[in-house]
Amino acid sequence: MPVVTPALALIIFVAGAVAGSLGALLGLGGGIFLVPFLNLGLRFPITAAAAISLTTVIATSSSVSAGRAGKQLINIRLGMLLEVATAGGSLLGGVTAQMLAQSTLQKLFGVISAIVAVIMLSRLQRRNVMLDPSADPGILGGRYYEDESGGTVTYRVKRLPVALVASFIAGNLSSLLGIGGGFIKVPVLNAWCGVPMRAAAATSAFMIGVTATAGAVIYYGQGQLVPALAAAAVLGVQLGSWSGMRFGQRASARWLKLLLAIVLFLISVLMFMRGVA
Amino acid sequence: MLRAGVITSSISLGAGLLLTLTGTAAALADLLLHGGVIVLLATPVIRVLVSISEYAQQRDWKFTLLTLVVLVELLASAVAALLFNRRL
Repeated sequence: MPVVTPALALIIFVAGAVAGSLGALLGLGGGIFLVPFLNLGLRFPITAAAAISLTTVIATSSSVSAGRAGKQLINIRLGMLLEVATAGGSLLGGVTAQMLAQSTLQKLFGVISAIVAVIMLSRLQRRNVMLDPSADPGILGGRYYEDESGGTVTYRVKRLPVALVASFIAGNLSSLLGIGGGFIKVPVLNAWCGVPMRAAAATSAFMIGVTATAGAVIYYGQGQLVPALAAAAVLGVQLGSWSGMRFGQRASARWLKLLLAIVLFLISVLMFMRGVA
Repeated sequence: MLRAGVITSSISLGAGLLLTLTGTAAALADLLLHGGVIVLLATPVIRVLVSISEYAQQRDWKFTLLTLVVLVELLASAVAALLFNRRL
């Protein structure tokens, strides 16, 4: 277990800030970047890295869900329904993580990072889906007012089973690797289930809080969470995501995504190699 | 409410971290840190509880049940954490 020193706390704080701002700009959680940094860079055991990362995911999710933009966009019913699958997956993942070897988890992380990078690249041009405002959203669909277009967006949710399976897998990965899982949920909800981009992102942000909690509880109970370092990370991530949202409007998302896809590929290779070594 | 949870836990964590770094009041620092973590972890749970009561009030039994299942899953993770501890 790493010893808590001021230098270490500061490093983690900064790392959290970077992860948080990247997360805010890209709509990813910071976990994808934080876990490799802690595990590869600072040589934390992967379970410790995952534990710390999960706490930052909870903090981010709670902050986003509490925000005023979130309230309208979050599809709470859909989120709660999918939560049943996600929390189950997360529970299973948390238990499994205790039994798998570090190297296995690292290899898995490597594979998943590569997948995330690919997904991100394929969605560089993503735009919102607009439907007729007088349409009926059904029990699970949503309706919200969108500032930019000045209209009400209504949508239905399609292919629910797909969403459920994806949520289960996302929850599983979340606990195993210490990430949010949004990178699976958002594309699935947006591309296959008919949910507009921003609602999908908001609903996912809402859901990952519950997901990460199930995993985090298990890590915490196992004594794998170092509270002091988690504190540094959480504070850092909050600062990062706040500033990311505040100043990120002008950044060109496209170049950023390209850059990050490259970084993720790099991370993927490194993690995989470390797992194989 | 979610915001209150994040703010509370952040303050607790921040204070605990500072104390730990300066090496004073170790017991208090520990308390603040662990307390902060617990509050942070509890925040989504409370949110689920609120949802349960909201759906029950609306007499939407389907969703009341769904959110109850989520709560059970969350509690199961806590149980799993404790169980594992004892076995290992």
